[in-house]
Amino acid sequence: MSFLELSHIQKSFAGSVAVEDFNLSVAQGEFISFLGPSGCGKTTTLRMIAGFELPTSGQITLAGNDLTYLPPNKRNVGMVFQSYALFPNMTVAENIGYGLKVAGKSKVEINQRAQAMLELIHLEDFGARYPARLSGGQQQRVALARALAFHPQVLLLDEPLSALDAKIRVELRQEIRRIQQQLGITTIYVTHDQEEALSLSDRIVVMSQGKMEQVGTPAEIYNFPATEFVAKFVGQINLFPVDVVDAKNGVVRLGGQVLCAGQFGHLNGNSLRLAVRPEELNPGFMDGANNLKGRVTAVTYLGSIIRISVDVEGHPIHLDVFNERKLRIPALGEPYQLTFPVDACWLL
Amino acid sequence: MKGKRLNLWGWFWAVAAMLYFFVPMYGTLDFSLRMKKGLISLLAYRTVLADSQFLASFRYSAIMGLITVTISVLIFVPTVYWIYLRLPGARPIIEIITILPFIIPVIVYVFGLIRTFSGPPFQLTLTPFKTDILITAGYIVLSMPYMFRAIDVGMRTIDVRTLTEAAQSLGSNRFQILVDVIFPNLRIAILSGALICFATVIGELILGDFLVRPALGPYMVLVGRSRAFEPAALAIMSYALTWICLGLIQFFSRGGSTQQQLTGR
Repeated sequence: MSFLELSHIQKSFAGSVAVEDFNLSVAQGEFISFLGPSGCGKTTTLRMIAGFELPTSGQITLAGNDLTYLPPNKRNVGMVFQSYALFPNMTVAENIGYGLKVAGKSKVEINQRAQAMLELIHLEDFGARYPARLSGGQQQRVALARALAFHPQVLLLDEPLSALDAKIRVELRQEIRRIQQQLGITTIYVTHDQEEALSLSDRIVVMSQGKMEQVGTPAEIYNFPATEFVAKFVGQINLFPVDVVDAKNGVVRLGGQVLCAGQFGHLNGNSLRLAVRPEELNPGFMDGANNLKGRVTAVTYLGSIIRISVDVEGHPIHLDVFNERKLRIPALGEPYQLTFPVDACWLL
Repeated sequence: MKGKRLNLWGWFWAVAAMLYFFVPMYGTLDFSLRMKKGLISLLAYRTVLADSQFLASFRYSAIMGLITVTISVLIFVPTVYWIYLRLPGARPIIEIITILPFIIPVIVYVFGLIRTFSGPPFQLTLTPFKTDILITAGYIVLSMPYMFRAIDVGMRTIDVRTLTEAAQSLGSNRFQILVDVIFPNLRIAILSGALICFATVIGELILGDFLVRPALGPYMVLVGRSRAFEPAALAIMSYALTWICLGLIQFFSRGGSTQQQLTGR
């Protein structure tokens, strides 16, 4: 039984479709991320759940209640904004307690809850400060506490970490996951950052041009992308055109080099593209695996890994190797052999 | 070398402007203190303050000023808020409407008011109370450019839409958002507009004169026609009131900066 249900949601703005036939069932306590590039409709979908936008058609239900046309203040849905949106005229404690104040709770209850939320976000001593006296990370933690303080049924986060620097982002996303798991609150998280989505979510909804491309666990999304868009958008991918040699056994050809596809489904003999992640490729030759020969065109240092670009039959193929001290870095133009397991590649 | 020359010119114009403003003011102040022949005294001020007509007209204008400020705030804050939230395209139209008092001479405006509201169906000049309603409406229109701009500038400094959505998601209705979030965050802007609005009403002459109400402006003109030193004292008192208003704006502006959001979108 799903807790939050979005059925056939469609949203158009002045004739242009922002979200098209969006269907999603979210279980209670689940952490779902909407992942996609700018303008893919992820924030619009989130705003429809929050009530800031009304769907052109479709239905949204929460715990069996129809939310579709309910005003935002009647939905019991907490929201965290990219720009924090803390009330500058209120202290941290007043910000956190505001939802309870509006609900008519007693001062004692509000103060107790605010203190509990401050402890949850590890800002116990900051209750009397104004938001302007806090760092960006602290402000966003207060915004999170404020969105949770009034016991919402669902927590919505709209790119909450985008305005923060990289280190704080990593810290805070772990904090968000910890709090979400501690409270067991159903959460929808919008992001364009694949690392955030992969590290936080129970399931990810990958979106493009208003449509759902794929819904799945982070492992499913990364290891078994359903479409070329998902394969390209989530992580790095090598995609190169191949001709089918043996449709029954998934044998294909890149120029003069023969390869075997791990997943190939039903092939009809047309030209296809073989997909393989850079980290699946290794230097050298291995019996029983796919092996390719080419020439090194670039070597890029990325800290813990080194990306080697190899030209194979006129197509660039990248492989990632761990940056070990003993590693021999190939020279540009050097002949290079690379290998990858058959089950690490698939046809798109 | 060039910078130094520019700096000297800057100082020259600053001093020239100060002389332009302060020499007449000093002359007025000096004259207002010479009511007793051969002595510097505050007699002109004491005479003005002892005049029951002055106190009555000042009280009347102050009350009208407070009423005007209150109604203006209640009209303009929700209006500007709504424009920012729902009708951003209407802002240029509202802006043009608010500068009409600068374009239409007050005398034309007053005759328009009298012609429209001295006969049926809206007879607002028959009793002092009704005329006070009319004059308040007039003051609101005259102070509209200042009040609208002050609130407009204040509204620009806060992220109205996101703050509104944040408050809505926490369960607030529109009224609660206005009272709890918008008004407090516009405190300085409202205060600036209110003080300018108050100063405008206190010094206004034409509406009070033509609608025959006991306002401070007509009183000052009346005194100016029959006496010499008291009008100078009144002018200095009027300046002082304006400067106090400006000082208060500065004072509260400084206090409010501690609550401004430093980071955000």
